[in-house]
Amino acid sequence: MSAPSATTTGAAMRIDCRDLGASAGGTVLLDAVSLSFTAPSLVGILGPNGAGKSTLLRLLAGYRTPERGVIAWNGRPLAGWSAAERGAACGYCPQQFEPAWNYSVAEIVELGRERRPAGALPREAVLRESGLAALAQRRWNALSGGERARTMLAATLATQPGLVLADEPGASLDMRHRLALLTRLAAYARGALVVVVMHDLDLALRFCDRIVLLDGGRVAADGTPDAILGAGVLERSFGLSLQPETRRAGHDWVVGIG
Amino acid sequence: MTTETTALPDGSLRGRFLLLAAALLVALVFAAMAGHDWASPSRLMRALAGGQEIESRLLLVWRLPRVLAAALVGALLGLGGAVFQGVFRNPLAEPYLLGASGGAAIGATVALLVPLGLPGGPALALLSFLGAWGATWIVLAVAGLHGRPDTAGLLLAGVAVAAMLGALRSFLMLALSDDTVNLQVVLSWTLGGIQTPDLAGLLLLAMLVVGALLLARTLAGGLDLLGLGDEQAYAFGLDPVRFARRAVLVGAGVVAAAVAFGGLVAFVGLIAPHLARWLVGPRHRALIPASALIGGALVAICDGIARAVLPPAEIPLGLVTALVGGPFFLVLLARRLKA
Repeated sequence: MSAPSATTTGAAMRIDCRDLGASAGGTVLLDAVSLSFTAPSLVGILGPNGAGKSTLLRLLAGYRTPERGVIAWNGRPLAGWSAAERGAACGYCPQQFEPAWNYSVAEIVELGRERRPAGALPREAVLRESGLAALAQRRWNALSGGERARTMLAATLATQPGLVLADEPGASLDMRHRLALLTRLAAYARGALVVVVMHDLDLALRFCDRIVLLDGGRVAADGTPDAILGAGVLERSFGLSLQPETRRAGHDWVVGIG
Repeated sequence: MTTETTALPDGSLRGRFLLLAAALLVALVFAAMAGHDWASPSRLMRALAGGQEIESRLLLVWRLPRVLAAALVGALLGLGGAVFQGVFRNPLAEPYLLGASGGAAIGATVALLVPLGLPGGPALALLSFLGAWGATWIVLAVAGLHGRPDTAGLLLAGVAVAAMLGALRSFLMLALSDDTVNLQVVLSWTLGGIQTPDLAGLLLLAMLVVGALLLARTLAGGLDLLGLGDEQAYAFGLDPVRFARRAVLVGAGVVAAAVAFGGLVAFVGLIAPHLARWLVGPRHRALIPASALIGGALVAICDGIARAVLPPAEIPLGLVTALVGGPFFLVLLARRLKA
């Protein structure tokens, strides 16, 4: 998909959060997180399990209210945005989705479009760009995990939002589709702010403009992929020693052997 | 969840609705024929054409209003069921099973048997509405609005609420039973049964159905989104908690109206949306009117059976729907728990 045109939602979307804190059942999930994101940019949120990645994304999307701190979209506190306004401005793609009804691919895309019909791409175009045209009439229970994830992302991007927040959109995709997904998000992020929670270090380092590394609910590092890789913070956070390899031209992916 | 794997082609929806309208018509004709003495289609035609003989007058004045009332109550039950299933995100949710109908019946019982000094009609309407609304919220609070819909938990909460309300209603009936006329009415509610309305009653009921359809249609988009799950519904611009509050209000109103005119009728609110989903798919803009049509046809037929099966007696409508609907529910439950 190409970058959204400047006439869609607010051309230069911006998120600022200050001193965010959240906890659940006595466990601290996020602590004193202050970040600012400006479009256009593809930001990868990385970190070990339980680092607070999904919590941060939910807070940024407004689905969850922070216990401490404030979040603003385009300078306006998130509390002042109605649910409909948030839906129109943002494409939030949660990690889990389990529809109660057996919707078809086309129906889900339609539901995504209806949150802002004026700026949305035609349904057929959305399906085509996501490679879902052949599955349009297929119902949810007949879709594979990867097809489901692609359907939800297509519905999320259908309105060409200026802000995209996606929680591991590639988790259930095979390598080819994961590569296609990141290529597409990177292209989209040329005209929008895209924040993605990821587990693939290699893809994050390769596609993201900026990487925020969370560890234990705090920001452990924040910078360009090169700076992050050079600083050794990934090793510390994940508790692994990493072997950087450069991908040679003509190859899609470096596969570690041995 | 239906087992179909592909959606309808876009154009065929109108055909499906024509089919449903035809089914309703057939059901109405059957119901008008059914009774202690069966009326042939030619006798029906004579009565509709304004025949003045006693037989035609009886059909027109007694049987047809009853048939229409049954269909209208069925429409309320069907669309009420569609709203309930949408809010609870569960195809096994039903106003009767979840205690909402029982709540409405409590309100109505209080209005009829307790001398509150309030005007009869409005008090009955208000109290049955409050009963249905309160009962629904208890179940919603226990089963949880946010989590993934858990069928077993939902049904257990509903069963507990329905049992409590049933006991409370029995107690009220025993404690306040000097007024035998009203007690009779309350008793007939318990088993479900359509009263033959006068023209004003029939018009009121028709207006309630039209109003309920219009109100429920305003919920259609939100119910669609709610069906994606709380978080995804939020992502697509819905405030799920606020919306559920509004939807439960509408659902309670529909249930209260259905109970006021037809008593406690089980399973129609379960079956109608189910069949509707098979026919027109899961989107509520089509599902809600389709459920109303199917509910109308179902109750018209069941009420006809209730009048015809054991002459000269009439068996309660609720018995017929429970005998038909119970097995349907059990099959669905078994399939869902296995999945």
